[in-house]
Amino acid sequence: MIHTMLVIDQISEGYVILITGLIIVFSALLILSLFFKFGLPVLLYIYKIITKGPDKKIKDIPVKADEKFTGEIAAAISVAVHLYLHEQHDNENAVLTIKQARKLYSPWSSKIYGIQNRL
Amino acid sequence: MKKLLLIFGVLSLLIFMRPVFGLNSASANTATISSIVQTEEVEEESFVHEAFDGIKQFYNYTGFANATGGNLLMILIGIIFIYLGIKFDYEPLLLIPIGTGVILGNIPFVAGNQTGIYEAGSVLNYLYFGVVKGIYPPLIFLGIGAMTDFSSLIANPKLMLLGAAAQIGVFATFLGALYLGFNLPEAGAIGIIGGADGPTAIFLSSKLANGVNILPDGTTVKNLIGPIAIAAYSYMALVPVIQPPIMKLLTTKKERLIRMKPPRAVTQKEKMIFPIVALLLTTFISPSALPLLGMLFFGNLLKESGRTERLADTARTKLIDIVTILLGVTVGASTQADIFITKDSMMIFALGAISFVIATMGGLLFAKFMNLFLKGDDKLNPLIGAAGVSAVPDSARVVHAEGLKEDPHNYLLMHAMAPNVAGVIGSAIAAGIILSFLG
Repeated sequence: MIHTMLVIDQISEGYVILITGLIIVFSALLILSLFFKFGLPVLLYIYKIITKGPDKKIKDIPVKADEKFTGEIAAAISVAVHLYLHEQHDNENAVLTIKQARKLYSPWSSKIYGIQNRL
Repeated sequence: MKKLLLIFGVLSLLIFMRPVFGLNSASANTATISSIVQTEEVEEESFVHEAFDGIKQFYNYTGFANATGGNLLMILIGIIFIYLGIKFDYEPLLLIPIGTGVILGNIPFVAGNQTGIYEAGSVLNYLYFGVVKGIYPPLIFLGIGAMTDFSSLIANPKLMLLGAAAQIGVFATFLGALYLGFNLPEAGAIGIIGGADGPTAIFLSSKLANGVNILPDGTTVKNLIGPIAIAAYSYMALVPVIQPPIMKLLTTKKERLIRMKPPRAVTQKEKMIFPIVALLLTTFISPSALPLLGMLFFGNLLKESGRTERLADTARTKLIDIVTILLGVTVGASTQADIFITKDSMMIFALGAISFVIATMGGLLFAKFMNLFLKGDDKLNPLIGAAGVSAVPDSARVVHAEGLKEDPHNYLLMHAMAPNVAGVIGSAIAAGIILSFLG
């Protein structure tokens, strides 16, 4: 008798948890979705007003120039970069081989037409 | 192969000879002390006798002597898990550690040598501590947070409701477990299988059904961590099998063809605000889920803040990998046959399958219900409701694949990720609620 009472009690408590649990889960995610639907844009708008004021146009933003940075420094840097990238000679192949040069006849290397040769 | 045989042969010879040698010297000593007359023949006979005894004792310590049918069955299941993971690519990162763990936990042994996972002081027992005390799940959630991109959810917040709708599976299973005769805390822990979220299931069962807590009527709750975790993870791996038929059943072809408009671009600021606001809102509503939700959103903040890329990177790669390895192996090993193969486990498996079905149906039907109120290109493709069961990112992938089957140019993955991650949040909240009611 007590046992059956306990079972019925458990199941009714189960229904309570079922209903409340579902409602809480739904409401939690509903609140979250409502916040991101409506709350967040407002929040971001307020943030924008506080920090920057209304948006500036690009031409209104003053260009700050660095007085010390002259064209000479820029040239020096760019030369350095150029040298570094294009004029490196450090990576040459260390393996030396003797290649046989093609023996093409040329009058410049001819024994016949040497300076010393007199015809 | 030859080498292997040779090594094995030598080893086995050594093992079998050891008792012979050990007893040989002892009996020789006694022989010299007692009498010189003793013949070699007697001595030799005692060698053989003692050697046989030694081998017998050795045999009694081996797995062959202690194996039970249950052990062998579980080892077979472990091998099937590994096979499924390798062959069909069903969540191999989970199934292979768990499958190996199942084998580890079911190697038969003689109790009392600090070997088994349930014996205090054994190495596996120490590793299992992280499961029993619910340490691993929040760490996994940290990694999940650092991996997850919530932008599709932020772009379309109403999809969050689909994540909530799928949680009906949790509560329906809870009720079903009550009717099957489980008591309240156990039923709560079983119900969370419907959340389709392994870490959450382990977290909740380690709090409610850990074999330690004492009920008001004086009995202790059963230890159901093993069955619940295995059920949750195996059904998560089987999502590509369970979900598609239900999707086909509950949606019409016309609905499956609905194309959703692409989500809007989300600013970095919104992404940064999301974890903080969501953390505050959800944990204020359901503080018991704090370890899970706190770590989830903390991980996400690490990712989105843009300043802690190193931490986020560790959380989503190394850290989560380490914890997954430990969690998988220990959860697998906790299925020691004498504790695991019970009527309760079978009922939990049945309930788990039903809860996945109900959760999927809940998501699908709620998506259809939401469609009643939405117009034009705001309409949802009801398939994405099925992704409301968490199982990140598998169920989203299944939704995507089903969508492609109907229309090869309908890419639903981005849309499905939103209810998918909402499902993670939803099931963590549900776990918190159950914990606060029953804990």
